[in-house]
Amino acid sequence: MALVFGWPMLRYSWLSMHASSVLTGLEPVSNQGANWIRLLEDARFWQDAVQTLRFAALSVGLEIVLALAMALLLDQRWRGRGVVRALSLLPWALPTTMMALGWRWIFNTPYGPLEQMAQSAGLSPLNLLSNPDWTWLATVMADVWKTTPFITLLLLAGLQTIPDDLYSAFRLEGGKTRQALTAITLPLLTPYILIGILFRTAQAAGVFDLIQVLTGGGPAGSTESIAQYAYLNAMRFLDFGYSATVMLAGFVLLSLVIFTAAVLLQISGLLRPLKS
Amino acid sequence: MNRSRPLWIALLLIWSLLPMLWQLITSFTSSDALVNADIPFQQRWTLAHYRELLSGDPPFWRYLFNSSLVGGLSTLLTLLLAVPAAYGIARMAPAFRRTIRTVVGAAALFPYVLLFLALLELARAFQMGNNLLAIALPYAGLALPLALLLLISAFEGLPNELDDAARLEGLGLLDRLRWVLMPLIAPATASTGILVFLFAWNEYPIALTWLSRDDLLTLPVAMARIAGSSIYAVPYGAYAAATVLGSLPLLALVLLCQRQIVAGLTNGAVKG
Repeated sequence: MALVFGWPMLRYSWLSMHASSVLTGLEPVSNQGANWIRLLEDARFWQDAVQTLRFAALSVGLEIVLALAMALLLDQRWRGRGVVRALSLLPWALPTTMMALGWRWIFNTPYGPLEQMAQSAGLSPLNLLSNPDWTWLATVMADVWKTTPFITLLLLAGLQTIPDDLYSAFRLEGGKTRQALTAITLPLLTPYILIGILFRTAQAAGVFDLIQVLTGGGPAGSTESIAQYAYLNAMRFLDFGYSATVMLAGFVLLSLVIFTAAVLLQISGLLRPLKS
Repeated sequence: MNRSRPLWIALLLIWSLLPMLWQLITSFTSSDALVNADIPFQQRWTLAHYRELLSGDPPFWRYLFNSSLVGGLSTLLTLLLAVPAAYGIARMAPAFRRTIRTVVGAAALFPYVLLFLALLELARAFQMGNNLLAIALPYAGLALPLALLLLISAFEGLPNELDDAARLEGLGLLDRLRWVLMPLIAPATASTGILVFLFAWNEYPIALTWLSRDDLLTLPVAMARIAGSSIYAVPYGAYAAATVLGSLPLLALVLLCQRQIVAGLTNGAVKG
């Protein structure tokens, strides 16, 4: 673990202080922090940072809501529940790259099914993958489809820890079934929801495979993520020093976001149930 | 709620399965019919995409084999490392355990894609590129945090007295692990193994940078390569057929192991 997680961070810290690119014959040469200055002025990096955060925020938000509904449904007892649970897990189990291309076909202009439907409804072409204003929503949709089952699993686990007695008692006291959701289920589920948000935000902030295959970062860089920019710098521009800088900066930004979120939650007292 | 339940279940299934069904349909549709809606219904269907895949060079099953090999090896390695480590950690003082939990949890949250560059350098330094056995090493390393979290919880769930009693009976550490503890945490180990396998099967950025020889690619990289061969004309029919073939093993795994997957995430990740 130290090798896989610790070493890269040290190596990045060191590389980020050096120029190591084709220009230097791929040998690291110290450049006194020039990488970091370049990063601060790099509009593309900051645009990617905003895009990554936007992507993460919307997809995690949608996923939580959707997963909550799915978990509530899958927690009830009915015939065939096991099979439906397994089937609803499938999107999460399939390789991201595989279905990313599947989505690319679905979003395809003009032959994809969505585009065909729009056509027969008499709408103008949607151009889902070539419109810089809207394409990121397509990436969000593919991500929501793929990772909602993961949160559903977490929430399902949480629902199973709530004893049935609580609901019976609530009904005996004259509470309505509808109210039980906000009075019992949601408060007791909060820790699980928070863990889901935490896990998924971290993952979504590192999004790479999905966007790489679905849009390649385009159109016009409007869906490019930080991880992708770092990848491009290293593998296409062969600028390893700057790539390391981008990755470190991405990591710092992500930590900041998670840290702020944790502090905010702490202040609002939402984290308290986690400690018990 | 009760009366509308079938509707909700139907919606859930449509949402989860429709994109995959579309791939299934596409995989049987001839390339001409994909871009021409006017071809009559009876003439739209073909097996050509599957034939092409299976007779390709290297044939498609090669990627399935590669992915299975890497997945199996990574899972084995991860469990070999994680089970003893989790046992050791679960026996430590609570204060220690909390610290280790926090560190391991942070590592599990870490977006590992950011690590690929340094890992690639390691691969070069140790000549581990293009080697299916070697790529199991970073996979095991990356999967270790999650495996540890799950297994530590499993060990903590066992009563200490059990272990102590076995020790009084004169059983050594290995015997206790083998005969007393392993049978009890077998379910947790199984679900951890499945999650690690899924991770290794689906991993992309590291496989992309470590493997370049055609006959060594794992499934995700092979698929993405089909996609990347041309931006303008992706062979969607052949690709859909590949998706279908590549999904079958996972479909079987998920249907068979649904219970373990749910139980695994229930027990571990959540308590952290």
